[in-house]
Amino acid sequence: MIKGSYRQKSENELIKATLDGDKLAFGEIVTRYQKMVARTVKSMLGDSVFSEDIGQEVFIKLFYSLSGFRGEAKLSTYIQKIAVNLTLNEIKRRKRFFSMFSQKGNNEMYEFEVADHETEEKKEASEIVSKALMNLDPKFRIIVAMRMLQGYSTKETAELLDLPLGTVLSRLSRAQQQLKDILRKL
Amino acid sequence: MKVSDLKELLIRSLDKEEDAGTTASKLEEAGVTFRFSEGFREKILDRIYSSGSSMAHEIEFVRDLNYVFYRIAVAGVAAIVVLLITLFFVQGSFSLNSFLGMGNSYDESIFCLLTGN
Repeated sequence: MIKGSYRQKSENELIKATLDGDKLAFGEIVTRYQKMVARTVKSMLGDSVFSEDIGQEVFIKLFYSLSGFRGEAKLSTYIQKIAVNLTLNEIKRRKRFFSMFSQKGNNEMYEFEVADHETEEKKEASEIVSKALMNLDPKFRIIVAMRMLQGYSTKETAELLDLPLGTVLSRLSRAQQQLKDILRKL
Repeated sequence: MKVSDLKELLIRSLDKEEDAGTTASKLEEAGVTFRFSEGFREKILDRIYSSGSSMAHEIEFVRDLNYVFYRIAVAGVAAIVVLLITLFFVQGSFSLNSFLGMGNSYDESIFCLLTGN
């Protein structure tokens, strides 16, 4: 099958083809959702080689769990859940690791890389958003990332993170306050 | 987009009434993008299709091993420190003889011990 024809295929057709051993079908799934995963992972972990690893793990985990995907939710939601879980696990892992050696927060380990081909203005915009996110408390950061960068509503964010709507709303309002303080300093 | 406008947009995006989808697209227009490096897709396909089904488990295992190693290393260092302190109190110094448990022995007593006289 030629590569272009995969673009027209529906999610279900791609999943079925992947389960039948079609490598390019899974490649098309990666192509379609890698940007969404990058937004979640990189906004939470910063732009570093670790984010790339977690991004790869998201799709590897998806691949091995595809046979159990029953299609009750959209594939994008399913992938987003995997991305959120793996990213939060990584943050917990890092926290555990850093708490063993230091009492400082773990924000210092994040790196920022902005693609060279971006214009100065775009570079600056990316840097401001990355720095603002990295300075937020992780429990606020995930909510801000879901809403601000992925465009999810508060209800969708609550469902995705398995949190009560009230918790998301209160965290959103506290995140906004924290974000204001952070942006004032940037 | 000016920096001040961008900051305003970021703060406003968290308003409950604000349409989150609009903010996301405005931020993308302003150049706020998150991308994986080139060849990301190929790396994943290589990892999955060239290594068999044990790959995911291997990754988890290595990560867990790393985590356990750090815990053991910290406990090990703590044990060594306690051992050194105990040694110092019992033997009174950190000399080689102290380490070998002979800090308080004289040559004659070792000779007696070995010969039984």
